[in-house]
Amino acid sequence: MTEIESLRPIAAVLISVVGTLAILAAHRRPNFREAVTLVVSVGKFGIVASMIPGVLAGDVYVWSLGSFVADIPFALRVDSLGLLFAMLASLLWIITSLYSIGYMRGLDEHGQTRYFASFAMSLSAAIGIAFSPNLIVLYVFYEVLTVATYPLVAHDETAESRAAGRKYLAYTFGGGVAVLAGSVFVYWLTGTVTFSSGGIAELAASDPAFARAAFALLAAGFGVKAGLMPLHSWLPDAMVAPTPVSGLLHAVAVVKSGVFGISRVVLDVYGPETVAELGVGLPLAAVATVTLLAASVIALRKDHLKRRLAYSTVSQLSYIVLGLSILSPEAITGGLLHIPAHAFMKLTLFFCAGIIHVETHTDYISEMAGIGKRMPVTMAAFAVASAGMAGIPLIAGFVSKFYILVGTVSTGDYVFAVALLVSGVLNIAYFWPVVYQAFFQSSEAHDAKPLVENPLGGATRSNSPRSDGGRPIDDEEDTEAPATDDEDDIAVEDAEADAGEDPELDPEDLGRPDFSGQATERDYSDPAPLVDGEYAVDRNPSDAMIDEEPDTTEDGETSHTERDDPVDVDRGDDTHADHDHHGGPPAGGWDRRGWLGQESTWFMLGPILVAMTGSVALGLVPHAAVFLRLIDDIVSTALTLGVVF
Amino acid sequence: MTDVVLPLLIAVPILAAVAPLLLSLRTSETGWYVAAVATAVEAGLAAVVLSAVYDGARLVHAVGGYPAPYGIELVGDGLSAPVVALIAVVSVGVVAFAYTGGPRRNSFYSAFLLLVGGLMGVSVTGDLFNMFVFLEITGLATYALVAADRSDRSAVAALKYLILGTMGASFFIIGVGYAFISTGTLNMVDLSSRLAGQYTARPVLASFAFIVVGLGLKAALFPLHTWQPDAYTYASDTVTTFISALVSTVAAYAIARVILTVFTVAFFEAAPLARWAVLTFATVSILAGGLLAVVQSEVKRMFAYSSVSQFGLVIAAFALATPDSVLGGVVHLVGHGLMKGGLFAAAAILAATHGARTVDDYARLGYRSPVVAGVVAVLGLALVGIPPSIGFLGKYYIAVGAVRAGAWPVALVVFLSTLLTLAYVARLLERLYFASPDAAPAPSLDAALADGGETEGESGADAAAPASSNAGDTRTVRSVSVGMIAVVGLAAVAVVALGFVSPGFETLLEPFLGGVFP
Repeated sequence: MTEIESLRPIAAVLISVVGTLAILAAHRRPNFREAVTLVVSVGKFGIVASMIPGVLAGDVYVWSLGSFVADIPFALRVDSLGLLFAMLASLLWIITSLYSIGYMRGLDEHGQTRYFASFAMSLSAAIGIAFSPNLIVLYVFYEVLTVATYPLVAHDETAESRAAGRKYLAYTFGGGVAVLAGSVFVYWLTGTVTFSSGGIAELAASDPAFARAAFALLAAGFGVKAGLMPLHSWLPDAMVAPTPVSGLLHAVAVVKSGVFGISRVVLDVYGPETVAELGVGLPLAAVATVTLLAASVIALRKDHLKRRLAYSTVSQLSYIVLGLSILSPEAITGGLLHIPAHAFMKLTLFFCAGIIHVETHTDYISEMAGIGKRMPVTMAAFAVASAGMAGIPLIAGFVSKFYILVGTVSTGDYVFAVALLVSGVLNIAYFWPVVYQAFFQSSEAHDAKPLVENPLGGATRSNSPRSDGGRPIDDEEDTEAPATDDEDDIAVEDAEADAGEDPELDPEDLGRPDFSGQATERDYSDPAPLVDGEYAVDRNPSDAMIDEEPDTTEDGETSHTERDDPVDVDRGDDTHADHDHHGGPPAGGWDRRGWLGQESTWFMLGPILVAMTGSVALGLVPHAAVFLRLIDDIVSTALTLGVVF
Repeated sequence: MTDVVLPLLIAVPILAAVAPLLLSLRTSETGWYVAAVATAVEAGLAAVVLSAVYDGARLVHAVGGYPAPYGIELVGDGLSAPVVALIAVVSVGVVAFAYTGGPRRNSFYSAFLLLVGGLMGVSVTGDLFNMFVFLEITGLATYALVAADRSDRSAVAALKYLILGTMGASFFIIGVGYAFISTGTLNMVDLSSRLAGQYTARPVLASFAFIVVGLGLKAALFPLHTWQPDAYTYASDTVTTFISALVSTVAAYAIARVILTVFTVAFFEAAPLARWAVLTFATVSILAGGLLAVVQSEVKRMFAYSSVSQFGLVIAAFALATPDSVLGGVVHLVGHGLMKGGLFAAAAILAATHGARTVDDYARLGYRSPVVAGVVAVLGLALVGIPPSIGFLGKYYIAVGAVRAGAWPVALVVFLSTLLTLAYVARLLERLYFASPDAAPAPSLDAALADGGETEGESGADAAAPASSNAGDTRTVRSVSVGMIAVVGLAAVAVVALGFVSPGFETLLEPFLGGVFP
């Protein structure tokens, strides 16, 4: 293993800094500006990819500027783990740039120069994180990443996005401070912060209490960006950002840098053996498992598609952390493989959400029934990617999940295996309805979504009609129900309440079926008698949904504006409040578009298909797609001492 | 021979201070040229000192040829050289800034040059009483400069500063007196050897307490800081730029000199209460300054309270008295001077261009003055401690020092200070770039409200404040030129570039630290 002194690492970092300056200078010429982004992203990927053969052969590329602070050098070092992350980020930046062009121009967004410039700077920081040889350089680029991504989060310049930006800064800088504190601890305990495969030797010999404290600080600090609960809360709020930002940064670059930090800490600062000795792997795995499951459950209730994807991201990132903290070779392999696997799949999903927003201004799943007609290619890609999320074979998510499962079972930690399997089921539970209703239902007739629509803890009374037909005047409590019902989108009315309002109504007039088997006077060739101008059966709609009109409720428009009542339809932060509510199918349902790209521009469809293909490729031939080879390399160097635990 | 530079550093500006007054018998507005020449010479002299100390020399000069300990000694070592360099660089910068922006009255430049001389004197003197003399010169010149724009608010602020500052200087001299009666000498090095046996004696402890409290008042540590927000806010913008960067800096340097050279680390070991007392006040200052800064709406006042917080950090570093923390303290001292001076200068430009004085006024200025707002962003983030910048460097060393010394509360507060600083810096940055468009003030300024009232009577007086939405705001600089923007831009570049120069700082301070920590 030779160290090759090269300018390529710093070139890979600086090329997009130069790009940022060029983009800022080109603010009056949008086409030139976009060309700069594309050229720089291709160039960055080229530089990173050129280092693959060398790293696979066992060499390491280094570049150093000299001492930065104390005796810690400001340097860059390209090893397999760094190359894994760098390749992922730079490759996906190319397709995200194309997508961004389509997205920003499609929405005629403001501040595009600032957007593209910040994006380029963020990628520079991400590559810097990937190539950091020690904790301090990692911290430097970690903070630069936060600063560079903040303008992207607050891009919309609305009150909501400013609030999201503030929360983002508070969380990520807090995480940064924890990382710095942890690094200072490590420096104090061992005199060095350099990553060494197998861990820093002196750390194993130092005071366990302080070593554990340092691990906790580092894990918490990186865990903020990695979306470990309860530090994840910034991620769903950051979904106010434009979708390419949510996709590349908050599914690929920023969150993966947090996970990358954790992997560096586990593999190269402490080393698997020390982590096992200190006993800090199990708490980390526990936190990851809780996050896995809790985030999946929360995702079930989200109507806003991007927020659902955000919670899915939180959940999937914990697969990676779980794999890393189990410490067996297969688990680590699986965890690291999930980095690119999840990236491709989640990017596909986010891009689909974005293209739907651009083309139809629809953000809410409850309005997306039948959208497969309008956007077939998109929803097909969505289906493929979500299958991968759930761990269906042939797509990337299966390979990584399988490795992690094998790893958990081989170390005897069955509880984690069970958690992973349950999470797979939950993934299906929150992705399948989206896909199913897109293709197999229509905007006029689609299923209700009780998980999304009903309040936490259940409704005070059932939606479905009572099996005995109900009685005209019922308990007092039912008369309260209509008040709360009115705020539901679904015009559900209580049979008893309405009957209660009309005491003159004789249930006999409703034409109740006669189960006595005796003859009937009723001639069923006649239409049923009308009660209050409508058929009895229509007074209690259940599965067969009538076209949801936002204005059917008493509140009219207010049902889509300020929703202060979280009790009933708990959209929580999913309010329509700040968006011009013009989403949803047009009158008459979705138009039909063909399968040859008539639904949108190829600027956006192309990247979606590329990302989807990438996830399939990773699922079919993970070794040929370089990633798994890099990971095998990482794991074998990190675990030269064999299986731990 | 190079030690001749040391008395020249003090003499040149003091002598030059007379020139504008003499010249004003014939001309007006020539003071600037005298100041420009004097500060350029100072910069050259400072460069000589810096390079000599960097090469490992310790410059010593006996004033008038009288040998120490009877005579006054001037010393240039690893602790004073960076401060001397800072004073020189900031003086040049402010003079360049004042060409278009600042007052052009001759009397202003006399006071300015006196101040530079006083600051240099505090930085290079090796005699405790001599330090008092220069502290007083510094103080008097500063009181005059704060009141220079002749408004009533600045007069009151200057009076407040005068009263409190004189109290501080009086405490300092009482402390020096106690040290003198305990040892019979005033020379710093001599004092340190004579104090050696009697660290726990009452007069010695009292001496330390009085000196530190007196200097702490000058450095504006909480709760002795109350003069600072008013003085910084109501002084004219050019003056604030200068004094924020240097005056408290030099007082903090004096504290470092007293702790490390006069009383030495052994004193802290013999009397740990002294260290913990200073650490406690410094730590509280970090938190209090930060919290007070967050709630401010006026930008200059916010930066003033920020200084209270940052100096808490510096004094805590010196009170910890370990090699890492002292290095961090010096780095942060220099860095803060550049950052705070740059921030006030940028605020001055924004106030002159847009009439923006409060955080609300800064709405969307990021797009109307992109370069200056960019400078505010870079300097603000450096103040928070985002790498790579000199702010990060200082904080890192201080944090390492605190952790190594086992001072966990201090370490915790140092880390939290990042978040506290972020609170007010992020507020400003969000306002600059992401405020909603309807919050931004209209670009047209009420040009008619240029006030002539308060500055009448002086021929060629600094012209009334330019179009400013604050009628009667005499603090605003006269006008804004490209040169002024270039000066603040250079400050931002320097702050980031110095973030990579830690080996330089280490080399510079190595002999000094080796002497202090055997």
